[in-house]
Amino acid sequence: MQKFEYVSPTTKEQAVALLGENWGDVEVLAGGTDLLSLMKDYITTPRRVVNLKGIAALSGVRYSASGLRLGALATFDDVLSNTAVRRNYPAIWAAVEGVTSPQIRAMGTVGGDLCQRPRCWYYRAGYGLLAKDETGHALVPDGDNRYHAILGHNSGAYFVNPSSLAPALIALAAKIGVYGPKGARQVDAAEFFRAPGGDGEREYQLSPNEIVTEVLVPAPGGMKNATYEVRQREALDWPLASASVALKLTGRNVGAARIALGHVAPVPWRAGAAESALVGKAVTEQTAAAAAEAALADAKPLSRNAYKVQLARVAVKRAILAAAG
Amino acid sequence: MSSNGKNEKYVGRPVKRTEDPRLIQGLGHYVDDIRLAGELYVAFLRSPYAHARINSINTDAARNASGVVAIFTGSDIEGRVGNVPTAAALEGLKVPKYPVLALGKVFFVGQPVAAVVATSRYAARDAVDHIEVDFEPLDVVVDAEAAAQGGPVIHHDFGDNIAYVHRAGIGDVDAAFASADKIVAQKMHHQRLAPISLEPRGVLASFLPGEQQLTLWTSTQIPHLLRTQVAIMIGLPENKVRVIAPEVGGGFGSKLNVYAEEALLSFISMQLHKPVKWIETRRENMSATIHGRAQSGVAELALKNDGTILGLRYTVTADLGAYHQLLTPAIPTLTGLMLSGCYKIPAISMVCTGVFTNKMATDAYRGAGRPEATYVVERLMDIAAQELGIDPVELRRKNFPTPDEFPFATATGLFYDSGNYQAALDRALAMVDYDKLREIQKSDTAAGRLVGIGVSTYVEICALGPSAAMPAGGWESATVRIEPTGKVTVMTGASPHGQGQETSFAQITADMLGVDLNDVYVIHGDTGIVQYGIGTFGSRATAVGGTAVVYATEKLISKATKIAAHLLTTDEENVTFENGVFSGAPDDKQVTIQQVALAAHLASNLPPDTEPGLSATYFFEPKNFTFPFGAHICIVEVDRDTGDIRIKRYVAVDDCGKVINPLLVEGQVHGGIAQGLGQALFEEVVYDENGQLITGTLMDYAVPKAHQLPRYELDRTETPTDVNPLGVKGVGEAGTIGSTPAIVNAVIDALRPFGVKHIDMPLRPEKIWRVISNQ
Repeated sequence: MQKFEYVSPTTKEQAVALLGENWGDVEVLAGGTDLLSLMKDYITTPRRVVNLKGIAALSGVRYSASGLRLGALATFDDVLSNTAVRRNYPAIWAAVEGVTSPQIRAMGTVGGDLCQRPRCWYYRAGYGLLAKDETGHALVPDGDNRYHAILGHNSGAYFVNPSSLAPALIALAAKIGVYGPKGARQVDAAEFFRAPGGDGEREYQLSPNEIVTEVLVPAPGGMKNATYEVRQREALDWPLASASVALKLTGRNVGAARIALGHVAPVPWRAGAAESALVGKAVTEQTAAAAAEAALADAKPLSRNAYKVQLARVAVKRAILAAAG
Repeated sequence: MSSNGKNEKYVGRPVKRTEDPRLIQGLGHYVDDIRLAGELYVAFLRSPYAHARINSINTDAARNASGVVAIFTGSDIEGRVGNVPTAAALEGLKVPKYPVLALGKVFFVGQPVAAVVATSRYAARDAVDHIEVDFEPLDVVVDAEAAAQGGPVIHHDFGDNIAYVHRAGIGDVDAAFASADKIVAQKMHHQRLAPISLEPRGVLASFLPGEQQLTLWTSTQIPHLLRTQVAIMIGLPENKVRVIAPEVGGGFGSKLNVYAEEALLSFISMQLHKPVKWIETRRENMSATIHGRAQSGVAELALKNDGTILGLRYTVTADLGAYHQLLTPAIPTLTGLMLSGCYKIPAISMVCTGVFTNKMATDAYRGAGRPEATYVVERLMDIAAQELGIDPVELRRKNFPTPDEFPFATATGLFYDSGNYQAALDRALAMVDYDKLREIQKSDTAAGRLVGIGVSTYVEICALGPSAAMPAGGWESATVRIEPTGKVTVMTGASPHGQGQETSFAQITADMLGVDLNDVYVIHGDTGIVQYGIGTFGSRATAVGGTAVVYATEKLISKATKIAAHLLTTDEENVTFENGVFSGAPDDKQVTIQQVALAAHLASNLPPDTEPGLSATYFFEPKNFTFPFGAHICIVEVDRDTGDIRIKRYVAVDDCGKVINPLLVEGQVHGGIAQGLGQALFEEVVYDENGQLITGTLMDYAVPKAHQLPRYELDRTETPTDVNPLGVKGVGEAGTIGSTPAIVNAVIDALRPFGVKHIDMPLRPEKIWRVISNQ
């Protein structure tokens, strides 16, 4: 691990002042479940590490009539142990419950989940976010791409977004609170992620000197919601595919639907076609399966990951059925 | 709880492990918990290449790095540290020289190239990055079967990559196949596995230059054998080397070895006159600790139409890796011994080709060659049952030897001591209500559900073993001593590392001596204290080491009886010993074993010509192996949409003979099934086409986690054995051996609607889904 300076501010103003102008110069530490291994492997070699855990204002899980606030430093365990989350936002609860290992649930944070780096093994082996060899040749399309993207990879980014929470937050129309030198701002969860153009960029809409402070989820307002993860018992402890669904039922029929897929594209994938396919219909095995087909209609599997298309279909279908419950 | 003066015995009861309080509280001492003043730390530069020439090594920058004390490369120590030894002796075996640090070439990813010694483990690790090595990559041999056919040669002097060809089996196999009504054949792959002990390896070596004594704390299963080998490698007299295996956090065979690091750290401590420590990282553990299994072959079974087995043939390639570790070439020979399974098979033939590849060596991993045999036989039985249209249970029953046919001679040259295979199978079938289960399966299948029932009946070879069949002695030793205060000390040459013999050997001794369990202290794993022993592996510690404890205790009682007779002023033949008390006829005077012990030490009133003290040592040589057996039944359901496998029930009936402590037996079975299930469903060491280790961390190598395991429904049958007076057979590996085929058979059974004959392990859901969806 390369030597670095370690700072523990106690306010978000102090924290932001310690951040750099360029990505990678300074890294932010919350739960540390991802950052430490990236540093040990020299995937990131920051000059300074800013520990956010001393900033009390960033923690906590609070539910009120206006909705849910998850502090960026709230741990997975904090979220799991909140009965209001379990009752009103089963999509969030299930997504967090799926995060494996008690150690990661105890240490990992909401903000860290959103900002963790891709699990792509080429990236983790030092080939960069776009996984290219020294000649600029992309390694993923004819490499071992069994866990890579099946959607949205035309930008040249083949990794999948690793966030467990993101699909649920998008389905629930959450906003992400950001703080930087210019003050606080909010970004729709659905707009927060992006496919980077290279290693000088990140996978989310932050400036290098901004931090995530909180997540704000609207009151459920009768939205039935669920997350279904296909998490096979392989070593890689991230789901192979997941789907989060929020449904507003009018009588027996779906009045409105928001569906987002995880682990299938460089960004959490909003499945508009599946939403349209479902609206106006009663939820049945058949309509759920049809929505799942629609969600994956544009899938372009790589050489070794056709199976993920099937798993994503299963996730969408089962999440819809679970939400309609 | 005391049995002193009472009739209740400890043996057979679920006595809680006396080891556990310290371990649960984090108060045990593993190698890394032992800190010596002034200790230095070692970090290794390991080969990033599977096969490369080392053109040059530049250590200048690393030597100048902060905290660095010394750096050693292969050429620095050439001729000063002996090669890594192998104990396997097979006809025509090719043995490559295996230097403790690479010399000129590297042969597998993870091979040690240079050792950095520094004042802290961080400084040592950081300095490794400053060593510059000019590697020139060479052609890589990854696929064992291809390597046997030709292509690049790893060890040039040998001319090819074939380390040996081993033939096993008795009987006219060709005639058996020629006369068969039915022949079934299947290519099967036993993937490479990593043993993954929770505690990785670790070594602390401390040389005292004045005394010329070396103490080596190392996480090992064989402290005495290791002492002998390390002493030879570093050129110290064996009696100047003391090996201590402190708490050992799991071995599973991976620590039944002599590793380069153990000798090298000893050598470094001798050079620097300082204690030096190395604790293996998980990545090092994945790449440079032995792997297991890695056989690939075609298995064939010849039968009559009525299901009677006529012969079995197994033509197999064993992927040995680049070098031989201690038992590397010998492991597949155990497969050859066990190919008869639980069945009467008149003719058996195995031809095994051991092949060098640019990978870490394979060696003993829980089961060590026997799981491969059991899997081959049990898969063949299911395939044959399907093709003959016979229920798999009936086919097994038909070919079992009956209980009165024991001792049973196999066509692999073994004599199974005792067995009642029907009884174990019947019990397991009753537990699942097999006939009803098949009915339910029919209705489930009709409803579109994919439910499978897998049966495996196994027999294993344990209590290794008679010395004639072992490379370095198959006996075990024990010393039992009663101290002046009446406390009992047991020293066993076995080296338990999680199995619980501190408890079970105390149970045995406490019962025999009629003392309280808490008065017995079992010492093991320290060559400075314990008489020479062999160690713990091959499910031998209780059957062989426990028997040594029994005989040593008998010897001690015999001497104590003589002293007691003297104290009771009667003749020895008038003395009876029960529950810790000697009684002398005719007037029924009594003296306790503790009083006798004190008298033996005071020595002022002993019978003539009696040595003072009360201690006895016994070296037990077993006359045969033992052959535990059992029946495992697994019920699975496959998710049609994803191929995911859910284990609905798991039933295991094991016969390991008499049970000293049922808690320990159940623990062994639980752990064994977990590891067998890991092989069936999850685990696989993967090297890519360049010989790079892809599964270098626990992020990539899938060990089963607690929540992924089924609830175990266990029972036992108990068939006596006369191989040892305890009547125990060994149970350490039973779960691993019985479970893998039961699970695979269940999954294949669930996929019957798709006409599936076989799928190679691990049975990952994607493979299953491809079968279901015909992709």
